[in-house]
Amino acid sequence: MTVRKEKAERLADEELMPLIGEKDPEAFEVFYDRHGGVAYSLAYRIVGEKAAAEDVTQEAFISIWKSGARFDRARGSVRSWMLSIVRNRAIDALRSRAGKAPKLTFDDDAILEQRPSEALTEEEAMRNETASELRGALGELPGEQSKVIELAYFGGFSQSEISRMLGVPLGTVKGRMRLGLEKIRGELAEGLA
Amino acid sequence: MTETSHERWSEDVAAYMLGALEPEQAAELERHAEGCERCREEIRWLTPALDALPESVERIEPPRELRSRVMAEVRADAGPADAPAAAGLFGRASSWLRELGSGPMGLRPVAGVAVAVLVVAAVAGFAIGGGIGSDEGGATSTVVAGKAPGITAKMVSEGDSGTLHLDNVEQLPSDRVLQAWVQRDGEVEPVEALFVPDRQGQASTELPDMEDVEVVMVTKEPSGGSATPTGEPLISIAVQ
Repeated sequence: MTVRKEKAERLADEELMPLIGEKDPEAFEVFYDRHGGVAYSLAYRIVGEKAAAEDVTQEAFISIWKSGARFDRARGSVRSWMLSIVRNRAIDALRSRAGKAPKLTFDDDAILEQRPSEALTEEEAMRNETASELRGALGELPGEQSKVIELAYFGGFSQSEISRMLGVPLGTVKGRMRLGLEKIRGELAEGLA
Repeated sequence: MTETSHERWSEDVAAYMLGALEPEQAAELERHAEGCERCREEIRWLTPALDALPESVERIEPPRELRSRVMAEVRADAGPADAPAAAGLFGRASSWLRELGSGPMGLRPVAGVAVAVLVVAAVAGFAIGGGIGSDEGGATSTVVAGKAPGITAKMVSEGDSGTLHLDNVEQLPSDRVLQAWVQRDGEVEPVEALFVPDRQGQASTELPDMEDVEVVMVTKEPSGGSATPTGEPLISIAVQ
């Protein structure tokens, strides 16, 4: 089954997934156009190299193409599911590169400088604004909380590894993770005011 | 679920969500959460915070070539647009092959055409002459590097099937894919799976039925593949 691209563009992600599960390339093209940017950005944020980020993004999307029918909407949004796949593959790529240390701050100035100035859609621009607000919320976290979250989510380190790296008790790492996520959640509940 | 049990696992919920538990610990927590509404509620509450992390990343524009590669692979996997049809079509392919001066043992480069001719040689019990894969031991073939345009190939056999690995293949536009063909008893047949090179110029495809195959070829075809070859082969391998 194949739908026209114009029709696919009007469908929500959750409606695209069954079509992707039926191997509809038009539906998948719409899906890629919606999420390829954030997927590549996340991959680059984690692996720190454009070529590796391209590989991660390609592998993740092909994986989704081949497993689209397995998406379970009860476990969250399509976008979150897709980003978790990208994140996991990026962490795998990071771990496979011996001696490559992850970036440890939320400072994305270097990435900003490399961003092409054109070709951002209005939707992407809005998402950029949201991303900027989210970065602001993350930036307001106490340093010790943002660091453990950074090391875990973007660096792929376990809580035990983080405990050893930072020289703090495991319980402290657990507590910082929890407090950090709760603070972000609280900011979101307040509308990032 | 006891309060003590919940408190024990509740400490790990944030680490679990951040992917910071060891796999066994994560599996244990998931089993616990199945029967602990409070843990599930905590996970639900914190999920937007977790979702915010990837969304907070500064956006950079992915290269257009990435989109082309992804969509080429997707279209290749979606299957032939014009499904394999009549034997007559394959007969036309056979004529095409003959025009290239090929034959079971006589394939040769066409003058002025950049065709790489490879010869699969025998290695370690790999039976050639009766067709690739006639050795049930799953031997590995070897390869002689091709001529122009610099593409090299390796064929690996396992029983009656094989895998063709290409290297140094140029990038394809998004509406083109690679398609393999095999010749048996003078007739050319398409190999069902389509494929595309990765960013490093490497491409692989399965050859599920190599019994009595005389020649293996690869051509560039439109997305979805073709029932008969529409272009000159990038490589042709005469299987001796």
